[in-house]
Amino acid sequence: MQNRGLLRMKEILAMTLIIVGIKFSDSTSSLMSQQAQNGFWLIPLISFVCIFPGFLLMLYLLKKYKDKNLVELIETIIGKWAGKLICLLLFIFAFLTLTLDSRNYVEQIKQLYFQESPTDTVYYIFFIVVLFGAKKGFEVIGFTSWITLLFTKASVLIVFLLITGDMVLQRIFPIFGQGLSILLTEGVKKASIFAELFFLLIAYQSAKSTSMFRKGSIIASIIGLFEILLFFFVYVCVFDYNSIKKIAFPYHDITQFVNLGQFFTNIETFFMVFWLLAAFLKFIIFIYITSWIFGEIFAIRNFEPLLLPFSFLVVMIGLIPLNSVINELVLRETLLTIMSPFFIIFPFILWSIAFFKGDLKQ
Amino acid sequence: MARLLQKQQNKAEQSSLKDKKVAASLKQNMQDTKELFGYGVNKDFAMRSITLKSNGKKGILFYFSSIVDGERINLHIIKPLLTAEGDRIKNIVSIENIEETSDFEKVVQNINSGKVILFVEGDTQAYAMDVADFAHRPVSKAENEVTIKGPQEAFTESLNSNISLIRKQLHNHSLINEGIQVGERSVNEVNVIYIKDLVNDDILNNVRDRIKNIKTDNVRNLEILEQFIEERPYSLIPTILYTEKPDKATSYLEDGYVVILMDSSSACLIVPVTFWSFFHAPEDRYLRFFYGNFTRSIRIFCFYLTLMISASYVAISNFHSEMIPPDLLLAITASRERVPFPLIIEVLMMEIAFELIREAGLRIPNPLGPTIGIVGALILGQAAVEANIISPIIVIVAALSGLSSFAVADLNMNFTIRLMRFIFILAAGTYGMLSLTGAFLLFLMYAASIKSFGVSFFSPMSPHFMSSEDTIFRKTVRKEIFRPTYLHLKDIQKKPK
Repeated sequence: MQNRGLLRMKEILAMTLIIVGIKFSDSTSSLMSQQAQNGFWLIPLISFVCIFPGFLLMLYLLKKYKDKNLVELIETIIGKWAGKLICLLLFIFAFLTLTLDSRNYVEQIKQLYFQESPTDTVYYIFFIVVLFGAKKGFEVIGFTSWITLLFTKASVLIVFLLITGDMVLQRIFPIFGQGLSILLTEGVKKASIFAELFFLLIAYQSAKSTSMFRKGSIIASIIGLFEILLFFFVYVCVFDYNSIKKIAFPYHDITQFVNLGQFFTNIETFFMVFWLLAAFLKFIIFIYITSWIFGEIFAIRNFEPLLLPFSFLVVMIGLIPLNSVINELVLRETLLTIMSPFFIIFPFILWSIAFFKGDLKQ
Repeated sequence: MARLLQKQQNKAEQSSLKDKKVAASLKQNMQDTKELFGYGVNKDFAMRSITLKSNGKKGILFYFSSIVDGERINLHIIKPLLTAEGDRIKNIVSIENIEETSDFEKVVQNINSGKVILFVEGDTQAYAMDVADFAHRPVSKAENEVTIKGPQEAFTESLNSNISLIRKQLHNHSLINEGIQVGERSVNEVNVIYIKDLVNDDILNNVRDRIKNIKTDNVRNLEILEQFIEERPYSLIPTILYTEKPDKATSYLEDGYVVILMDSSSACLIVPVTFWSFFHAPEDRYLRFFYGNFTRSIRIFCFYLTLMISASYVAISNFHSEMIPPDLLLAITASRERVPFPLIIEVLMMEIAFELIREAGLRIPNPLGPTIGIVGALILGQAAVEANIISPIIVIVAALSGLSSFAVADLNMNFTIRLMRFIFILAAGTYGMLSLTGAFLLFLMYAASIKSFGVSFFSPMSPHFMSSEDTIFRKTVRKEIFRPTYLHLKDIQKKPK
């Protein structure tokens, strides 16, 4: 790992925003709208409320135990071997999220733009780029994220501005969709859509100072939440009750829906380029931090050579699910439901152990 | 094997020269020098023996008549030696620069670099007097980096004139011009120029070390030196800036960069560089705020066009044709109707043709230029279209990408994007926007990972550093407060408070 303290708040912010914020543009929305229907745009808010205190608590713990990253922190607090087991669980979560998400993205690319290509080919191309990108190291990933952030966000803004004309605000009513109780249970069950925040903690020391990391990740997660809420709101207003549930990739549907004046009527490829940039970067960051977690658990200092076998594994495992529906609505949903309680409760357990051990007193 | 032996023999010869001292006997010195320089065969190697008036001893002058100023030798060396009195040679001759040496190797070097050597009977010192007068052209206008507003002078193939051009703009006592010798057979001097109380010593030492570590017989000029001191010879991205404009060099010196000059090149090297050094032109700063930034925005657009327009065309028309508005799509299809080749072949053909015109146009002798140019353009443009080899729209695309490439003024960066363009076209041909975006992202990441003398390629944008924030756009001159801090300079404030 190269770490020369060149990353600042900007780069951390950009990386966090890319890995968390991009969720508004994939099929997470269709996953959520299955139960809650037109109230689903509130789910991320509930999830965020569930998971954010835990995240802040982790940041607080990391601040207390200086010079540690996520794995080292857990190992210090709950002991070496138990800590390693927990971290292994974390790694498995990260790896599975990575695998299922990547299949999901590959399916999006394939179904929307390359219908006749086999999934395998798109998957390989996607991961060759991801692998070579990740090979460049964490700092370069940070620089690139920051440089491209402006473009990706500008394209998102353009989509938003173009779609505002087609929104019908009354469609958000009834405000809680299928009912408040469904919203709340879904919110808690899907809390782990923000799990990437926890995985990112492995890079806690990568910035010039840890306060930059804290600030960057907190600001980015709030902006990310805002972005997700805004776009989910847009989807509800555009697609309405019931039909929202049948739309797999609302962001891409919207980009296909909007026109730039009378002449340019199909401009989705324009937005697809920027979306692809962000998607590539998301998986570059994701596979890098996943390998990093693995490297830390098994004390592999130079973990970058692991990127190749991990990319291979991701592609191979990612190709197992028969189709994107099973992948998204069964596997990913199950994974999220399993992960959520872990990420909601675990920081508090960690904190109470640290508290009763008396480590927090200094 | 024979070559190796020969080489070893030569090495032995050279090392014998290394330890050799100037002898007390004039005859011995004369013989050695004559033998070394091939006196008699070597037409421009001159020897002149005189009797010194001051002490009546014999003396001999050696020099290359082709690289010295004969007038000065007569007036300021020979005449005083023959007529004037004085206790030491230094007090007799009226030359500003006299060096005494007892090493024979130094003597040889001095003769090679245009000095007159004086041996005196019974003296173990030789006197080297600087009367060098190498032929060079006068200072002229910059031809490759044209500006409308701003100084027009360009470097010329003479070190002294070049340094004078820099000192003319930078009246600073801390401006240091340091000489480092390179080469084994032909010892040339590389001049490293910097401002002493600004420059970062690590970077400076790095530059010195790289120059000193060059192991070769001869470094003829800067263009060769550039390739010796760069980090990644196989990389597509340049890491050293090459410019022929003294005002550009001076502005970099002011910011704490290091400039390298050599006697036989009409340009200078600037290190370390960032992407922005290649992107900026001096004129952007001479023009007023809005005018300068307008030029910048045009140029960044040209970067995009050169790199991407052909590739985007291939990707969109092959894989995402729904994006093209129907009328335009029909027009394109109609124009392609009778063309037998796949689109990507068409694009590649036209791009290569443009490169051909460019390369040939550069080498065509002047009187033939316009004629051949017109014929080339006619054949490649109109005739190729009429013969259904290519479709007219490709001509537009290739012309656009070729034309925009000229807006990227820096030669090195120009090559980078021209070569990358082909990679992008091939990428676009394989999987449309997916592979094109992937290739672009990897190129961007590769560029972000490049370092020039320890400085990241995209600083100060990312990684962030305090600077005058002169990246894609610039601020007004009054608001530029800091020097680029990624250089870790001794003084970062541009403006005294």
